[in-house]
Amino acid sequence: MSSIMEQSFVKQLTENQNIIHKICRLYTNDGDAHKDLFQEVTIQLWKAFPKFRGDSKFSTWAYRVALNTAITLYRKSTRTIKTTDYEKHSFYVSQEDYNSDEEEQLKLMYKAVYTLNDIEKALIFLYLEDANYTEIAETLGISEVNARVKMNRIKGKLKKILNP
Amino acid sequence: MEELDLLKKNWNKTNNFEQISESEIYKMLLKKSSSVVKWILLISIIELLFWSISGLLLSSDEAFAKFKVDHLTDYLLLSNIVHYSIVIGFIVVFYLNYLKISVVTSTKNLMNSILKTRKTVQYYIWYNMVMIALSFVFGILLVFNMDPEISKLNQNATFKYGLIVGFTLVAVVFIGLFWMLYRVLYGRLLKKLNRNYDELKKIDL
Repeated sequence: MSSIMEQSFVKQLTENQNIIHKICRLYTNDGDAHKDLFQEVTIQLWKAFPKFRGDSKFSTWAYRVALNTAITLYRKSTRTIKTTDYEKHSFYVSQEDYNSDEEEQLKLMYKAVYTLNDIEKALIFLYLEDANYTEIAETLGISEVNARVKMNRIKGKLKKILNP
Repeated sequence: MEELDLLKKNWNKTNNFEQISESEIYKMLLKKSSSVVKWILLISIIELLFWSISGLLLSSDEAFAKFKVDHLTDYLLLSNIVHYSIVIGFIVVFYLNYLKISVVTSTKNLMNSILKTRKTVQYYIWYNMVMIALSFVFGILLVFNMDPEISKLNQNATFKYGLIVGFTLVAVVFIGLFWMLYRVLYGRLLKKLNRNYDELKKIDL
């Protein structure tokens, strides 16, 4: 028996699942862990859903819960991820409109992002999702100014990894 | 930064994720969470129960009763009322803190409320250890001074100090074991959370 609320939740989650997959990809190192985290996020979203009022987009609400789950609630540590592990992930598809130089650079970039710590990954994720600094600060609970400073530091760190 | 811009440009093009169907999501909703919060709740309830029960079992009121000290039973009753009010207070604070844990607030808030809930239990355990130690000392003093048979032995200094040293050693070993158990248990459970919390705090320094 599924309620109207449950149906509405499942429908919206199914439509917006890529945003959660993106977070799982960032915070896990293989397919099983990816699924495991996805499931925990789904449970947390469902528990929080009764309080979800449409004043923010479902996707925004979902990535907040998913990030919190990945960084805080999910028990398995992610620091142990080795840089080589990322290759096991189906990280991206070669697409025809990529030139091989770009593709190579992208690959290196993913690899570099993978070596960041949990909080740095969250900042990068939010940046890539086009969140502004107000949203980044609110999501993580830090000040806007410091979010900017930290973002610049992470960019510097990535640069260093890419151009040692 | 050129590379990050490149990543941003391609960020939404690289989503070749295996899609999860609606029926699979329905199945997921039936599964149990294995989050840190759930584990902390479980362990905390066990701890609250354990210390309440051991408080009841270790109760020495009856043993004290035979010493016929003036108003001793009144004092014991009073201390019991105070003790159980404090225990109930701890449980209420623990529950209120637990309710405040919300996955929808900011990451820092979430971590903060989890750590606060966990700390309530920690204080509860410390409180219990102190109470056990106090009633232990109180009991020894009472027995030494009031029990006629032990009072006789008590005049033998070696026996007296031997007993005190022995009891102290047992207490130290007992507390040490607990301390280690907690470090291992919570160390494992909260390692990631603490690390990420420190990392977040560092940003705002």
